[in-house]
Amino acid sequence: MFFALVFVIWAWAVSLSSPEGFEQVKLVLQSFIAKFIAWGTITVLLYHMIGGIRHLIMDMGHWEELKSGNLSAVITIVLWIVLAVLTGVWLWF
Amino acid sequence: MVLNQASLKRDGVKDYVSLRATAIILTLYTLFILGFFLVTPEVTYDVWKALFSGLLMKAFTLLTLACIAVHTKIGLWQVLTDYVKNAALRGVLQFLLYTLAFGYVAVGLFVLWGV
Repeated sequence: MFFALVFVIWAWAVSLSSPEGFEQVKLVLQSFIAKFIAWGTITVLLYHMIGGIRHLIMDMGHWEELKSGNLSAVITIVLWIVLAVLTGVWLWF
Repeated sequence: MVLNQASLKRDGVKDYVSLRATAIILTLYTLFILGFFLVTPEVTYDVWKALFSGLLMKAFTLLTLACIAVHTKIGLWQVLTDYVKNAALRGVLQFLLYTLAFGYVAVGLFVLWGV
């Protein structure tokens, strides 16, 4: 994710620089590989965020038993997959 | 136990708190950007430039970039100390990664400067 930031900041910088830059980024983002990198980055970030929020809740003393810990982990993964699919739909359709 | 508040060194508590504090700011920024893309029917150059030309948005973006650097620095330190046992290699990796993290902030600053 940390290395994906190179693409994010490049696209952000170029798209803000000028109308031509904006068009160039828009053009690049049409290609499958660019959308796949965007999808991958967003999906990884989503997992990181959901897992992080789960950790914050756990820091407050919840979900520390085997059953609740396991359940919250399963929910994290299910929620992530749902959002990953939604991101895919958003990017490609 | 000598409590050394004067040093810039990090201790476990600072890392613990900084990681979570920056995570909250990063989550807020991410949700904000997500909201922008969901609300804006068509993102044109003018709309995109207008978003980043407001002073508040520039400050928020720079704050987020700084938080990314702090969050990454602590997170990557934890990862590297877990997995890279060779001190020299770990040192080189930390140098490269932290320099890249600073680079993001620097680039971001000059992008915002120009908007």
